Amino acid sequence: MRVSFRLNGSVVEVDVEPHETLLNVLRDRLKIKSVKYGCGIGECGACTVILDGRPVTSCLVLAAKVGGSEVLTPDYVARTELGRRIVDAMLEEGAIQCGYCTPGFLTTIYAAIIRGVRDADSMRRALLGNLCRCTGYVNIMKAVKRLLEDVR
Amino acid sequence: MFDFVGKRFPRHDGFVKAAGLAEFTFDVEVPGMLYGRIFKSPYAFARVGRIDTSLAESMGAVVLTPDEVPDALFNPRLLSLEEDTFKDWRVLTKTPRYVGEPIAVVAAPTEDAAQRALEALRVEFEEVYEPLLDPFEAMSPGARPIHERIVRGRRWVEVRNNVAAEYGYSEGDLETEERRSSVVVERRFHASRRYHAQLEPKGAVCKIEPDGSLTVWTTTQTIHNTKILISQVYGIPMNRIDVRKVPLGGGFGSSIHTNLVTLIAVGLCLKAGRPVKLVLTREDDMVHDHVGFEFYMRVRAGATREGEITFGELENTVDIGAHQVQAYPLLGASLGWFVSLYKWRALRYYGRAVYTNKVPSCAIRGYGAPEVTWAVETVVDEIAEELKVDPVEFRLRNYRGRGEIFWGQGPTVRSVIRSDGVPELMAKCSELIGWKTRGDPRSKSGRFRRGIGVGRGFHTSGAGGPLSGAVIDYSGAIVKLNEDGTVDYITALQDHGGGTLDAHAKIIAEELKVPPSRIRIVWSGTSTTVYDVCTHASRGVFVGGEAARRAAAEVKRKVLEYAARILDAVSPEALRIEYDRELNDAVIFVEGAPEKRVSLSEVARTAWQRNWGSISASVSYRATVAPPSFTVYFVEVEVDTETGIVRPVRVVAGADVGTVVSPELAAGQLHGGFSIGWSWATGDEVAYLRDGVPAHRLSMTDYKIPTVLDLPDDERFTVVFASTYEPFGPFGAKGLGESASNPVIAAVANAIYNAIGVRFYEIPMTPEKVLRALRGGG
Repeated sequence: MRVSFRLNGSVVEVDVEPHETLLNVLRDRLKIKSVKYGCGIGECGACTVILDGRPVTSCLVLAAKVGGSEVLTPDYVARTELGRRIVDAMLEEGAIQCGYCTPGFLTTIYAAIIRGVRDADSMRRALLGNLCRCTGYVNIMKAVKRLLEDVR
Repeated sequence: MFDFVGKRFPRHDGFVKAAGLAEFTFDVEVPGMLYGRIFKSPYAFARVGRIDTSLAESMGAVVLTPDEVPDALFNPRLLSLEEDTFKDWRVLTKTPRYVGEPIAVVAAPTEDAAQRALEALRVEFEEVYEPLLDPFEAMSPGARPIHERIVRGRRWVEVRNNVAAEYGYSEGDLETEERRSSVVVERRFHASRRYHAQLEPKGAVCKIEPDGSLTVWTTTQTIHNTKILISQVYGIPMNRIDVRKVPLGGGFGSSIHTNLVTLIAVGLCLKAGRPVKLVLTREDDMVHDHVGFEFYMRVRAGATREGEITFGELENTVDIGAHQVQAYPLLGASLGWFVSLYKWRALRYYGRAVYTNKVPSCAIRGYGAPEVTWAVETVVDEIAEELKVDPVEFRLRNYRGRGEIFWGQGPTVRSVIRSDGVPELMAKCSELIGWKTRGDPRSKSGRFRRGIGVGRGFHTSGAGGPLSGAVIDYSGAIVKLNEDGTVDYITALQDHGGGTLDAHAKIIAEELKVPPSRIRIVWSGTSTTVYDVCTHASRGVFVGGEAARRAAAEVKRKVLEYAARILDAVSPEALRIEYDRELNDAVIFVEGAPEKRVSLSEVARTAWQRNWGSISASVSYRATVAPPSFTVYFVEVEVDTETGIVRPVRVVAGADVGTVVSPELAAGQLHGGFSIGWSWATGDEVAYLRDGVPAHRLSMTDYKIPTVLDLPDDERFTVVFASTYEPFGPFGAKGLGESASNPVIAAVANAIYNAIGVRFYEIPMTPEKVLRALRGGG
């Protein structure tokens, strides 16, 4: 079936199978590799994208359902002004290690700030679904706090 | 003191990683590639009969079966010398020995088609045996041999009682030392099997080049050993294999060897004659591919009334699962950790690795040190308590420090400790946590009880030493000055994410006096790099960094030689080199003659223009020592006596890493080290059902790792670095990665004891176990 949606600011039209996930369509059909596969069942957060302003694990979204929606992926988000500030804060604080989970953190933080999250506790709850085995989240939260001060 | 070492610079690959642009194995695509899917054994121990591939092949799939892979056994980990390498693996097997062991593999043009072909395979099982899941049962007389014969080096050896390998050692007069001890404590410990839970599942992409050579992209901590093993298994000359270095989405030991998936992908690619991509799903990765070692330990130790440690004994039974990855060296390393913890006047060690019908174990961050350290640090805490000596004081009196012999990974890796920050760290960290106010568990009451515990440990920095020893350990580096004065750094050494290569860039920068931004870390492969053994044993900065420094020093020597020609100096020795902030370049000058100056970029350009040749160096470096990086953890926990849930309240982590090359990234190692240690202490456990099926089938919902809500943030996490300098390290630096997690379980267990007065001898210390203990279950 044919699905049309806005991807990173441009309209795309793509043929998808009814059972295909947004994750697979983004990665395999549209070649957007910034969306990482970590578990495929919504447990790790590595494949988080922004769907109509909300962070979602793209492995749990059927591609057929995103018709008419707006999807933002990490490679795009990183190049926006806010995205760049998030990445800079992460770099400053040493929040990036292996980097496999990082794009998912980036999109989750981006969506939270757009939604109006301004305090560390709310951000921590927003990040509950993003797993990281490298950092213990300490420098990620340091980056978040630096960023929130900056945004406020 | 330094221009770049110790300063904060954003990591070179940070933006690329955050934006998701870093190309991991999972992201690699080759035109025309097929997708592979593995037929995994549903049984923990069985014998395969006929494999009917006709239906799958009629669907257009390529199928590879056990009869089509090389018959020789191998060990996926090339580290020990050949004669100490125990080989019991095949690429595909007709005798699956754990649930998930690969039997056959299919390839098709799409993942869906591959899955359909996989489902069309007909595999007959001639026999299904009762699996042996418990190591002690496996060793009992009459137990079915999991392997009858394996290959050690190049000869066949029989396996008796399912014991895969043994290791014994003793030193001093144990009986005499025991007689003069006024306190003797003996305890038995059990450390669970734990999954690494690296965020990137394993995978491989293999391609045949037009000239018939192979290019391989894969998750690995060692591209050169991967190349060597592919060559050994498939009989392909090494210069016909290029294993490319790709970013690794977390290691923790899970890719310390050549992954089976890599060898299977190569076999499939060779048969199909087309590129193949074979990646594991999370379920494949966590349920069927790898775990860390499971330990059963008995520790016995004594001390005199005056607080002097006398003897120590460690008996170590390791459940390794169905195949050996590095079981034999693990037994030696466990001994090394044990020996190097305290000044035992006499010691006895016996270790054995036992086969069971479970997923094969490989190293997990620390390679036995977290488990041995936990057991010993618990016993030492108990001895100190019985002697009524402050546990910190007791450790300071008895640990192996400066001037003592350190064993690193085992008896063949001995060197003298020259840098030691333990006294400084103990003093600073105990002060910061409020050690003196921790109180006695008997005086604590109420639902929420807090306690403070200490754990001290270390890890080696590599496995180098003055003698060649039993394991391979050396690194290589190529540093090349381009014609415009920019630098290419070409290395096989893998960065798991800790920032090892950023540390190298700073080390090269420091040597050449050019900013780190001038140095490009080149993504390369085995064809274009010199040998590096592996990023393991916390050797990346200490050994790999020193290789890089030496290559840079060689480049500097040539730069100075050419600068002497340019400046008309009598010899390069008359010249000085320093970083010029304004030029953002190195300048070479004659002291006292300010007009005699030339920038490094100008030297590079001149050497090109005047046909003096390239300025580059290729270095291979073997460290003659393996110094310990010491760590000290003070952890405060809060135990909810109604739910049994333990929460980390505060962490003070002290690390003696010599010179700190990258402060924020080094701190990140301690944060992450605590995180994984906390996970091991309180949650991680791979359990099996009776038929050998892992109980956490449903993936990470069943096998939980800590989230951002479970761990302390920066306000409750303090990192202290010792002010030491390691004379053999690059600019005084030594290792860190594993020492960052080694003492964590010990500190947490001791803190729980200080809160509720209960000692745990089994990890994970889950809420259920805590509650049971509080209710009198012990």
